Amino acid sequence: MFNRNYKEKTIESMLFVVSALTVFILFLICLFLFRDGLTLFEDVPFLSFVTGKFWYPTSVNAQFGLLPLFLGSLVVTAGAILFSVPLGVASAIFISELANPKVADFLKPFVEILAGVPSVVYGFFGLVVLVPFIRETFNLATGQTALAGSIMLGIMALPTIISISEDAISSVPGSLKQGSLALGATRWQTIYKVTVPAALSGISAAVMLGMGRAIGETMTVMMVTGNTAVIPSFPGGVLDPVRTMTATIALEMGEVPQGSDHFHALFAVGSVLFIVTFLINLLADAIKKKYRFKVD
Amino acid sequence: MTEAIQNVANPQIEVKDLNLWYGEKQALKNINIRIPKNSVTAFIGPSGCGKSTFIRCLNRMNDLIKSCRIEGEVSIEGKDIYGPGVDVVDLRKQVGMVFQKPNPFPMSIYDNIAYGPRIHGVNKKDIEGVVEHALRSAALWDEISDRIRSPAFSLSGGQQQRLCIARTMAVKPEIILFDEPCSALDPISTAKIEELIMNLKKDYTIVIVTHNMQQAARISDYTAFFLMGELIEFGKTRQIFENPGEKSTEDYITGRFG
Repeated sequence: MFNRNYKEKTIESMLFVVSALTVFILFLICLFLFRDGLTLFEDVPFLSFVTGKFWYPTSVNAQFGLLPLFLGSLVVTAGAILFSVPLGVASAIFISELANPKVADFLKPFVEILAGVPSVVYGFFGLVVLVPFIRETFNLATGQTALAGSIMLGIMALPTIISISEDAISSVPGSLKQGSLALGATRWQTIYKVTVPAALSGISAAVMLGMGRAIGETMTVMMVTGNTAVIPSFPGGVLDPVRTMTATIALEMGEVPQGSDHFHALFAVGSVLFIVTFLINLLADAIKKKYRFKVD
Repeated sequence: MTEAIQNVANPQIEVKDLNLWYGEKQALKNINIRIPKNSVTAFIGPSGCGKSTFIRCLNRMNDLIKSCRIEGEVSIEGKDIYGPGVDVVDLRKQVGMVFQKPNPFPMSIYDNIAYGPRIHGVNKKDIEGVVEHALRSAALWDEISDRIRSPAFSLSGGQQQRLCIARTMAVKPEIILFDEPCSALDPISTAKIEELIMNLKKDYTIVIVTHNMQQAARISDYTAFFLMGELIEFGKTRQIFENPGEKSTEDYITGRFG
């Protein structure tokens, strides 16, 4: 009796240590990121970083303006979401509601494999196939544009959006669908008036997580967006090269002198990125919790 | 049994030689029954006897089950509902169904009731009247008329079930099927639903599956006893309960098994 209690307590505390470790690592990352990021503001005023329109980190009069990078990320991500949400939700509906089970069993693992393709492979595909296609289609000087980034990120966000939306849609109780069908609704009316609205919280969470994935993606965007740190115009800027926050960090970190303003500026950009993705995840979680379906 | 069937003149639902299989397993065997208009007919029998399966044949809800195969004839108002060219949407408008557990949609009370009329293209300005009428018919209006825009989940279980009944009536069916509608409810809610069902039979033909024999005795005009996929006995409720023709009916009713 005593022995068993002792054993369970040991296992319990081991599991506690492991999970506490995860949180502790997250805490360390925050500390490390923010400490170096905040150091920037000893030399550069906070406002001129946040509202600065120019990112000239290596010129004599170095300027560290976040706006072009932030807007670059925003444009690419927004484009990706615009492209992947309708496609992803439609696929999720098809897989969970319309496809014959054999087809669905075949499609699902393939969608999940999409998530496992390394981002550099996506980038490679984008560079070789998509970029020349965009250049020729729109008759541009270069096909490395925000549009190319959006499409690639959209494809990469698809597996997240599809599999989480699919889970949400298929967990809508069958009794609701039957209730709708018994009232003489068609299968399609049932899907768009009952099933999808009932799954909306899960679908929103899926969109948020897809967005988080898109905003944090580095290698692919670096390869296909041209990396020009200018504020993208709207709407024409979609066909211009842009540079995202992630690409900036990846491109410049290798060559920056440690401890310089530039070094700290990159950490500050990283902090912004961290905060944005953290907020998105928090929001996704809140949506999921708040509107969790209350029928058992 | 044959006598009872012939007694029913002018049936609204007529089933001839119905057989049903789930894959290899036969769940209904040679069912013949004639259900009269504006009456309450109860299906009783132990779990797995096929009564729920049978009630779902009457509005073709079994279509949703892939492995399900049906032979025989089910006629409603003289028309075979499994015949060619039958539109299930029209059939289910004509034959409504209330399920075992209340299943309101995750929307407001009002929208729950308006759902059916809306999908069937009822004029926008008429919907409000339809909703009120349905809620009144389901004896729910007085309890909830002041919070008709609040979510349906804010209602109690019994109210939710009456909401589902109102939702079914809003489509204006001729027949309403109840698949154990009180099995998830407390006795007071059950009594309200039973009272409601008895009031409804002047406007609708009611078929109800129930596990509760007292319920069948209280509310039904006709009772059908099912066992192992067969219709053992069908007749006036009084006769079935007081003077059953079959030994197994008597055994079930007196609680010797089931």
